[in-house]
Amino acid sequence: MDLIRKKRAEAVNRIISKGYLSTKRVYVGMATCEIAAGSKEVMAVFQDAIAKGLTDVYLSQKGCAGRCNLEPTVEVVEEGKIPVKYGLVTPERAREIIERHLKKGEVIQEWVI
Amino acid sequence: MSRLITITINDKPYQVEPNQTIMQAADKLGFHIPRLCYHPKLSIEGACRVCIVEVEGMKNYVASCAFPVSDGMKIRTNTQALRTARRDIIELILDNHPQDCHTCERDGNCELQRLAASMGIRARHFEGERKRYEKDLSSEAVIRDPEKCILCGRCVRMCSEIQQVHNLTQAHRGFHTVVMPAYNMPMGESVCTACGQCINVCPTAAFLEKNYTQELFEKLNDPNLVKVVQFAPSVRAAIGEAFGLEPGLNMEGQLIASLRKLGFDYVFDTQFSADLTIMEEASEFLERLQSGGVLPMITSCSSAWMKCLEQFYPDLIPNVSTCKSPMSMQGAITKTYFAKKKKIDPRKILSVAVMCCTAKKYEAARPELMFDGMRGVDIVVTTREAAWMIKSAGIDLVNIQPEEPDHPLGISSGAGAIFGATGGVMEAAIRTAYELYTGETLVDIEVEAVRGLKGIKEGSITMDGKEIRVAVAHGLGNACRLLERVRQDPSRYHFIEIMGCPGGCVGGGGQPYAQINSIPLDDENLRKRAQALYDLDKAKTIRRSHDNPDVQKLYKEFLQSPLSPVSHQYLHTHYKAKTPVGIIPRNERTLSGDSK
Amino acid sequence: MADKQYKLTFCDGSGCLKNHAREFRQLFEEELRRHQIQQNVQIHLSGCLGMCTKGPILIVNPGYIMYGNLRPEDAAEIVQEHLVNGRPVSRLIIQEDHLYNRFFRIFGDSEFFGRQMRIALRNCGVIDPEKIDDYLAMRGYEALAKVLTEMTPQQVIEEVKKSGLRGRGGAGFPTGLKWEYTAKQSDPEKYVICNADEGDPGAFMDRSAIEGDPHTVLEGMIIGGYAIGSRQGIIYIRAEYPLAVQRLKKAIEDARREGFLGERILGTDFSFDIRICLGAGAFVCGEETALIHSIEGFRGMPRPRPPYPSVSGLFGKPTLINNVETWANIPVIIIDGADWFSRIGTATSKGTKVFALAGKVRNTGLVEVPMGTTLRDIIFGIGGGIPNGKKFKAVQTGGPSGGCLPEKYLDTQIDYESLAKAGSIMGSGGMIVIDEDSCMVRMARFFVEFTQDESCGKCTPCREGTKRMLEILTRITRGQGKPGDIEKLERLGTMIQKASLCGLGQSAPNPVLSTIRNFREEYEEHIHQKKCRARECTALLSFVVQDNCVGCGACKRVCPVNAVSGNRKEKHSINPNLCIKCGQCYDACKFNAIAKV
Repeated sequence: MDLIRKKRAEAVNRIISKGYLSTKRVYVGMATCEIAAGSKEVMAVFQDAIAKGLTDVYLSQKGCAGRCNLEPTVEVVEEGKIPVKYGLVTPERAREIIERHLKKGEVIQEWVI
Repeated sequence: MSRLITITINDKPYQVEPNQTIMQAADKLGFHIPRLCYHPKLSIEGACRVCIVEVEGMKNYVASCAFPVSDGMKIRTNTQALRTARRDIIELILDNHPQDCHTCERDGNCELQRLAASMGIRARHFEGERKRYEKDLSSEAVIRDPEKCILCGRCVRMCSEIQQVHNLTQAHRGFHTVVMPAYNMPMGESVCTACGQCINVCPTAAFLEKNYTQELFEKLNDPNLVKVVQFAPSVRAAIGEAFGLEPGLNMEGQLIASLRKLGFDYVFDTQFSADLTIMEEASEFLERLQSGGVLPMITSCSSAWMKCLEQFYPDLIPNVSTCKSPMSMQGAITKTYFAKKKKIDPRKILSVAVMCCTAKKYEAARPELMFDGMRGVDIVVTTREAAWMIKSAGIDLVNIQPEEPDHPLGISSGAGAIFGATGGVMEAAIRTAYELYTGETLVDIEVEAVRGLKGIKEGSITMDGKEIRVAVAHGLGNACRLLERVRQDPSRYHFIEIMGCPGGCVGGGGQPYAQINSIPLDDENLRKRAQALYDLDKAKTIRRSHDNPDVQKLYKEFLQSPLSPVSHQYLHTHYKAKTPVGIIPRNERTLSGDSK
Repeated sequence: MADKQYKLTFCDGSGCLKNHAREFRQLFEEELRRHQIQQNVQIHLSGCLGMCTKGPILIVNPGYIMYGNLRPEDAAEIVQEHLVNGRPVSRLIIQEDHLYNRFFRIFGDSEFFGRQMRIALRNCGVIDPEKIDDYLAMRGYEALAKVLTEMTPQQVIEEVKKSGLRGRGGAGFPTGLKWEYTAKQSDPEKYVICNADEGDPGAFMDRSAIEGDPHTVLEGMIIGGYAIGSRQGIIYIRAEYPLAVQRLKKAIEDARREGFLGERILGTDFSFDIRICLGAGAFVCGEETALIHSIEGFRGMPRPRPPYPSVSGLFGKPTLINNVETWANIPVIIIDGADWFSRIGTATSKGTKVFALAGKVRNTGLVEVPMGTTLRDIIFGIGGGIPNGKKFKAVQTGGPSGGCLPEKYLDTQIDYESLAKAGSIMGSGGMIVIDEDSCMVRMARFFVEFTQDESCGKCTPCREGTKRMLEILTRITRGQGKPGDIEKLERLGTMIQKASLCGLGQSAPNPVLSTIRNFREEYEEHIHQKKCRARECTALLSFVVQDNCVGCGACKRVCPVNAVSGNRKEKHSINPNLCIKCGQCYDACKFNAIAKV
């Protein structure tokens, strides 16, 4: 039991060291259904943005949450704020989310689920 | 014995043994629950759903072939709902089956026909599309007709479980399910050994032997041909069944008379060349034994086994006797010695064999067995085909006056007769080899250890103080098991007999279909056929092959001696590894268990 | 909606309601109005959150602050302190570190998720499925560590038995009993199999579960292996799920590296490994005996049971088979306890069930709800009802093995027995909503076509019987139905149900029999009046131009057989003798002037 607690603590530390506590966490749905709906391209947009210097963002993929008709989905989580979940995200929308939400903190209401 | 349990069938209580299926228990109590895919020698398929019964407390019907009895079980076998369901199931099979019973080869001998009659299906409620397939005529021996197939799976299980050839399997799904060789290979190019056991167990005509009766009738009417026929030992022990007689009656004389009436000029007995085979084979064995040749030596009489060997056990080809089968020896002697003696142009001889076997059709066509540009045997018909021809020609086999075979290839010893039963070749070979080796006469010539229907039989005899260990396997599955032992321990045996069919030739793929109240390959039936041959042996004064005067004469006048160059030219052959599609050569296999 | 400052989730489960949760909520709302901050907060009701002993429960987001054991007088304090002053009321906060329902922390749209209860899917959409660290952070493999260090195999089995968990693959056999039977076998060689051969049309529960959280399945299987004394696990998954396979492979590698798989797991004497076996996508391989044949290398065909796999399964050895969802429940049962688990659900069906909600419903997707939730709650609550103002007609549960339930069954509670009583089945979790535009005969025909195509061909009733049913249904939809056809369908269907070899055959007629039972008049209309009320069976329709035709000619241009005639700006007409009913004119008309009658 101690071993598993240790492993868990280590894992948490590793996640944190990868920037989990960045101000904004972005989750892109990457299950088969989401990929089919275009989430790979969306993911690429975020990866690209980070590569080009977008900071304070922890990007992660996740499995299918079950919102099939609204895929691809992207969630933006900020400590202390209500999580925002965008549906039907396209690469264009992703770029706007980066510009408006991640950089300026504006929630783009019309795309929120 | 375990404690009895109580079950109720149709409201009446019965005490039965536990650890058996409902069907087994019911059979012993006199309830014959209708069935189709079930066969006692095969695994439980539970596919046809004809043997369903009601069991109290169960939501659905259960297949009585598969479901075990338990204490207090309440079973109903014949309620109105069950009868309707069973009837509908059979109708569904019929609806997808050609409606050509009158012109079907198995008309009058079809299990589906009998079952439908017993269900009283007098109308069709659900008829619709019917499956259509071409017949597969590619094999010399076995025809596959998927259109007649009702997918009971008996052939698949026979081919994989009893014969371990694994040629047949179900393919595709739903309505398009069909039984076929792997990769839908034509039967002639598949790993099929032509044993014909699929024909034996098929309830309909989805598998048949390739029929040569029309061709034979034509040739029998050709005045330019000298028509010579030979018939295998076990044909005489089984052909009566095709005429409604009890199994196990020896119809030798009646068969000879009938064949003459059919138009054959000479009727010879394959038992003669069985004796000849023993002369050669026993000599070959002794030569290997004395000169350090490859042992164990394995018999080569069974054509299905030969194909199995070439495909699956090519590493054991050096172990197999070079002797041709008795049929092919007989054919060779007919077209050489006999032709010369009678001053007949061998090309004018029509050499016909009546065999219990379908693979003999394949064997007769093998190019390796040809000599002087001729086939030894031109046409092979099975026991079934011969029986039909006799009936068709209006010959009364049952009541006909028995006759004797012709000379010089007609006389046979008891040893030749027992060739037809599993262990018979071994027994016959021991009788002769013992005497050739020791110079003494074997007193107790009935070798019980190699008789009977046990899958693999082992025994030993002592010749001049030397222990000779022998083994016998019948059915290719048993053969495979035995040969695995040989692969692991080549010195375990000296001499091995292998027959491709369960029970040996008496259970051949060309034997009469199971009659009413019988099942294919019923052990009791096989035993009776074998007994007929053992009785024939017992009744003979000559019981050792080397005592056969006609064989002795043949050696004196033509062959000189066993294993002589003449013998080798006409009576021996060689086999080659074959790798049909779907077989990975042994040295390329990586599965564990395969050495090298 | 995200402009609201606070999201409040009130547990509306029966446990909390017993504890006067509703009264508390009313008080709370009054307080909000009193402070005039009701427009700043958004209120959600959730289904049972699984913390019934601590009810009423209120979760305040952001922050995921959970209040429990609330009494009426607490309402004012929370509103004042927390919502107005922004200081959470620490004395009322409860700390819960359970595995389920963690999504409340991060999911934005709690209308969809609020009524769900996520146990099997607890990490799906929450963690990165390709990172074992994410799983570990969610207390992953803690259940495994617990059983290996603190529990005997017998205790694990007892715990699973006590939880009341039943097989989620469809038949609902008690999981604990299955484990016990397999554990009892004396054979030292045993196997554990995960059945991930999901084949129902429209079902993707297993795929999503594996893609979203592969480690849960592994952990469940390792625990199962420990409980029954097995060293080898096999996941049978269809090759059509490449991403799921890839994530499983990654998960297995990671788990091996971290010492959760392989020799001497976590330093104990227990060794267990898992390999993946790819299936070729035959529907029938979801049947356990067919699946076993397939793993053995044979054609995937079922065999009669008994013997059951627990006695004689893979390679003749005792084998424990459970499906993905069942395995995914195991770690939660171990961590949060059988007592807790068995409080969720109904008397006979415990825990939750995942459904793939599809068809004519606003929110399609994966939902996991407590057993006992009504069909209405799922379809109209979580699913958001029928789109486009159409009328609900039926819901099909259980895929090709299930049945269609009409409106009168909407208040049926979801559990194995209730659904069966209503004439359908739980199945593995397909749920298709049908509106008035769908023809029930065609619906039935679709499923029978599927089962006929996928029948393994072994047993007569399924192979031949479904073919004949399909033929009859086809002719009914083509307007060639005959009197007596319904009776034939019923006769065949009943026989196939009762006489088929395996569960697939036995359930194949369900879509037909249940639609006949509930929508017999539609069948009769098709047969006798040659009419399809849903206007789906084109053979029974004719296309007619109505008076509002403006004569634009769009229909005329698209008609492939020149059946439309008429002058420009005049009403057109369709020649029924030429019309092939392709429907192109219907789609082309911008004025809805073409009617299907």
